[in-house]
Order: sequence, then C-alpha cells, then structure tokens
Amino acid sequence: MTETPSPDRTLDTKGLLCPMPIVKLSRAVKEMGSKQVILMEATDPGAIPDVAAWSRQTGNALLAQDQVGKVMRFWIQKA
Amino acid sequence: MARILYVHTGGVSTPERSATPIYLATTAAAMDVEVGIYFTVNGPTLLRKGVAETLIVPKYEGKGAPLRRFIDQALEMGVKFYVCQPSLDLHGLTREDLIDGVQMIGGAAFNDMALDADQVICF
Repeated sequence: MTETPSPDRTLDTKGLLCPMPIVKLSRAVKEMGSKQVILMEATDPGAIPDVAAWSRQTGNALLAQDQVGKVMRFWIQKA
Repeated sequence: MARILYVHTGGVSTPERSATPIYLATTAAAMDVEVGIYFTVNGPTLLRKGVAETLIVPKYEGKGAPLRRFIDQALEMGVKFYVCQPSLDLHGLTREDLIDGVQMIGGAAFNDMALDADQVICF
C-alpha cells in the first residue's frame, strides 16, 4: 500500500447502500474546513465509481484509495 | 452549479418504480447539483398525505423500507419537489391532500425548468 495521508476525520459507511454513503460523505465534507482530509470506509459495491464521480463533480480531491477484504477506503481532501 | 430535473410518472400502483428517481435525485444533491423532481401523470399519488408511510419499496428478499424514508432524505438534502396541477385533477387530488414541502407548477414553469436544466431524466 502506498503511503496515505493522515485524516482529520473518519466516516464509517460500512453496511450502507446507495445513496447513503454519498449522502453521508457530502454532509461530513460540508462540516470540514478547506484542505482537511476525510477517510471514508465503505462496503457498497458501487462505492469505487460513486466516490470517483462525486469527487469529480464536487471538486473535492480523491487522494488515495485501497481495499482490504470487502472494505474500501477513500482519502478525500476538501477543496 | 449543474442542474438536473427528474420527471417521475410512477404512482402507488407500481411501488417498485417509486423510489429510484428519488434516490438518484438525493445522490445528485449530495454531488452539489441543483436538483428537482417533477411529479406528473401518476407521480402525485405518491405524495398524498399518509401514502408514503405505508407504501413499501419492495426488496427481492426481506422487507423493504417505506417510501417516506426516501422522500424525507431527498427533502433534507435540498431536492425540490414539484407537482403538476392537471395530474392532480387526474386523481381527484388537491394541494391540501399532499405532504408539505411540494410546490405546484404548471406546464410553462416545467418547460422553463427543462430548458434551463443541464439534463432532464424521465421515469
């Protein structure tokens, strides 16, 4: 695994399905300051394309991602 | 800000079609898209007071969730709900029969919104 940025907060969406992981991510990022990093964990099978699309549309950068078993992790930096 | 307008024509007789446009609109709102749903044809029957609490969005296995949960999620995320006036007449409904948070519009306002939106998606 490549070195990952240390997050300012984490968001557990494991077990949640579309659209809840993205809704919770949106809400969490709105509460954060610019340049802060959130680590999101998800098990929704659509999470990888969904987080990428959300990042592209909102301009909040997807810094890194990995997968351990069924759990996908995303490091996102608020614009 | 990008704009998407969903058109929802499904009603209480097709519960399996009831939630998808609402899910997608909620997701769009979470992507910072300005989003509305225009309920027309049978769509307004989903917004009748007391209906969404008991209308279960089916699942292949197990018990689905009531539609009201998805409506509340969408409204909380800032999705605008618009209702077509003539399609209320189709079902003998009036504005007073509908849940709070919906806005009545006519054909001209709908067409205007469609022309201003980046995408119009119909169900």
